Amino acid sequence: MRILREILSYLAELPKLALFAVGVFIFLGALGPWIAPYDPNIQDLLSANQGPSGVHWFGTDHLGRDSLSRLIVSARTSVVGMVLVLFIALSVGVTIGTIAGYKRGWVEEILMRIVDVGLAMPSLIVALAVIGILGTGYWNMILAMALAWWPGSARISRAVAVNVMNRPHMESLRVLGANPFRIYFMHLLPSTLGAVLVYATADAGAVALSIATLSFLGLGIQPPTPEWGQMLVDALPLLEWSPRQVILPGLALTGAVVGFNLLGEAIALKRVPTLLSSSVLKQRRATALLWKRS
Amino acid sequence: MSGGHVLRVENLVTRFKSVERGKWITAVDDASIDLKPGEIVGLVGESGCGKSTLGRSIVGLEKPDSGRILLDGVDLATLSGRKLRDTRRAIQYVFQDPYASLNDRQTIGEALAEALTIKGDLSPAGFRLRIRTLLEQVGLPDSLHERYPRELSGGQRQRVAIARALAVEPRVLICDEPVSALDLSVRAQVMNLFLRLQQELGVACLFIAHDLALVRQAATRVYVMYLGKVAEEGPSLDVYERPGHPYTRALLASIPSADPRIAAKRTLSAIKGDIPSPTNPPSGCRFRTRCPLAVQACAEAQPPMVPLSTGHAAACIFAGQENPRIGLSQTIGAVV
Amino acid sequence: MNSMTAIPLLQVKDLTIDLFTEHAAVRPVDGVSYDVSQGETLAIVGESGSGKTVLNFAPLGLMPTGVSVQTGGQIIFDGQDITKLSERQLRSIRGKSIGFIFQDPMSALNPARRIGRQIAETVELHLGLSATQAESRTLELLKLVGMSDPESRLQQYPHELSGGLRQRVMISIAIAAEPKLLIADEPTTALDVTIQAQILQLLKEIQSRLHMAIVLITHDMGVVAATASKVAVMYAGRIVEQGPVHQVLVRPWHPYTTGLIDAIPRAEDMPGSLFRGLPGAPPILGGPVEACAFNPRCAYAIETCRNRRPPLLATPTPPVIAACPVVLGQWQEGGAP
Repeated sequence: MRILREILSYLAELPKLALFAVGVFIFLGALGPWIAPYDPNIQDLLSANQGPSGVHWFGTDHLGRDSLSRLIVSARTSVVGMVLVLFIALSVGVTIGTIAGYKRGWVEEILMRIVDVGLAMPSLIVALAVIGILGTGYWNMILAMALAWWPGSARISRAVAVNVMNRPHMESLRVLGANPFRIYFMHLLPSTLGAVLVYATADAGAVALSIATLSFLGLGIQPPTPEWGQMLVDALPLLEWSPRQVILPGLALTGAVVGFNLLGEAIALKRVPTLLSSSVLKQRRATALLWKRS
Repeated sequence: MSGGHVLRVENLVTRFKSVERGKWITAVDDASIDLKPGEIVGLVGESGCGKSTLGRSIVGLEKPDSGRILLDGVDLATLSGRKLRDTRRAIQYVFQDPYASLNDRQTIGEALAEALTIKGDLSPAGFRLRIRTLLEQVGLPDSLHERYPRELSGGQRQRVAIARALAVEPRVLICDEPVSALDLSVRAQVMNLFLRLQQELGVACLFIAHDLALVRQAATRVYVMYLGKVAEEGPSLDVYERPGHPYTRALLASIPSADPRIAAKRTLSAIKGDIPSPTNPPSGCRFRTRCPLAVQACAEAQPPMVPLSTGHAAACIFAGQENPRIGLSQTIGAVV
Repeated sequence: MNSMTAIPLLQVKDLTIDLFTEHAAVRPVDGVSYDVSQGETLAIVGESGSGKTVLNFAPLGLMPTGVSVQTGGQIIFDGQDITKLSERQLRSIRGKSIGFIFQDPMSALNPARRIGRQIAETVELHLGLSATQAESRTLELLKLVGMSDPESRLQQYPHELSGGLRQRVMISIAIAAEPKLLIADEPTTALDVTIQAQILQLLKEIQSRLHMAIVLITHDMGVVAATASKVAVMYAGRIVEQGPVHQVLVRPWHPYTTGLIDAIPRAEDMPGSLFRGLPGAPPILGGPVEACAFNPRCAYAIETCRNRRPPLLATPTPPVIAACPVVLGQWQEGGAP
């Protein structure tokens, strides 16, 4: 209960709009198939390319599939892909980063040089290269992106882990004679993970965008699975006379990416103090007025 | 038993890689110290003299390059892994900053229970009672065990850190500036706690501090360090009243007196210049660049420890001489 | 000798400072009055939560973002009331007529710029000198603060200097514009004793040369005795005792001052003997209390101390004043207040 209250009070301090965008994105991702009014893959060529109506709120696409349903189910594709990529990338990155930060010395040197090589190459290029070798496909895309993303989280994990290891409360554990297992799993890993997850929030938007990019290029999510990048490709030929079909997935994608970026930034900047709001100032002044001046 | 010493450090050398490429800092250079059971020993010196590194090397937070650390006569270098951890546990460390030495996500009770778990000779059923005893030993109410460190004052936190160290029943406590982060009026409370623990539990303390007056009252013996080397050692009263090393004399002369009647008569600034860089220490005697007595011989060889009286020795070729060309005000040009 | 009749450079009259933050409203300074004349050093002594730092920095607009300041009372500096000035007017006073030295010179200096440039910048800003004029003035300042080899120091970065040399750089910046008042917040706390002695000596020399007034914030009675002529002891936002150093440190009246002075180890204390100190912990910052804030730690406390605010009273050793009516015989147990 206390944890729940802490999380709620923490969320209350973040920008509402970003929280809303990310919330909707994750909500649709989790429950999309049950919310969508139609099956996103049922074609009805007789009602293709229709504008918004009472039956199809956001209209239909060139195969007569319900645009709203496709948008909603696409969110699921994105969220699942994003979670998988981040999960794999963070697992690998945090493991390597914390081992480097824990062991130091030559272990750290070797691991961090490998990470440097990974960081030297732009992530999208790495992903393209991997897909080029492995071929297209859902799991290949996930793997390719995780490969592109882990060095970043390894670098951050190492920095955090080194910092954590040097704190006196960790040093006192070593002096107490705690075994390495306790130090690593019960103290170093949880502390590092907490900090790294904050960075992951800011990265989530970029991952969602990359999934869409790869799919747009035909290298990621394959038809008929609904996906925003896919929807953009499908609608591109119709740009002239039905821009709605391009704008809708574009807006959805933008919303999710901007939402994650704002949220990540807000979390990172939370420690930076800002000016007091006028309402808080008024409250504080009122408190001070009650103090008698003697 | 090695001559009745609980802890013996012999010719310890600890070096660090400097930020400048290829250069090394010899933080501790051939230092030897020892502690008898239940004894409080002071280790004083200015920042960068290696006093903290020496303490950290003893508990394994830094890796010494050479020298021996003997605990109850056992050379710690002959042990490794679990055996080393179990043995070395008898030496505990109290950190300067009570705000950072406790994990802010653990309650006081959890932190103490973890120390007891690590020691591992008590079943968790007995923890509750043991924690109550530990808190009592450091003068804290038992009710504190459910609190988080952020809810405690600096003095209370330092007591908790001491209780955690006591949880593993140490024979030696290394206290690194344990009161310098605390408010003046509460320092005495924590210092008296150390004195009491030494008497009641027989724990030996190595008290690392820059505050000479504090060490004088707490410790029966004292080591003075300068640039990684022990410059003087001996019983506190001897060292403070008959300092044999010009550096010790300079340190003592720099302490401002809080009595305005004495302060008015004395000019401070008894010593010139800065501590030389440890990457490139002076040849021979480390102190010669700031020493009013320095002569050519000081640059040529490192001065040996000259015995002055029982247990009292100073690393100065002039130590013990009746009238070592005294007068700190008189500065003889540094020998290059 | 005319300092007796001349108006003090700085007069603080019944100053109260309230700080408002996201989480609380506190009063770290509560009805404080003192003055400092040219060429004089006032030491303000106190522990954490005493308000000694807020007292000197808040009125000059030196508070972190997220803290809102509300002041009452007056601070008359060089004829004008600082509490009435705008941020723009304050900016022209800070660093020019009032110089600052902080405890940690490393965080007060820019790590990425050369020493010479940082000093010259202040000189250009406050004295309106050209770049070449500023450079020669910078060199002059480094010589004044006793830097060895000043020409090559100009080219160095802060991290290349030792703590003592960095503090000398800070002092040279503080006195660059020949301020009338120097506020030094724990200037030697981070330094070693041998270096502390050098810096205190330097401050004294510069003071007599520039005829500055110095407000020295410290917790170390030894530093007070070595440098100050007057002392104000603060506890929980109020001055509890104030007077000439040679009187207060020798014959303190307030139990808190007595406790602080008594806590200093003396030459006759034998090794292994118990330390003298005060019971309890320093107060936590909050609103003003209608009581003596020291009463929970005081051996002399009576019922009245818990529900009445003790006034500053004259003592048998004038001009020392102390806020303890019990010790001074004004309040008695059981007697009507």
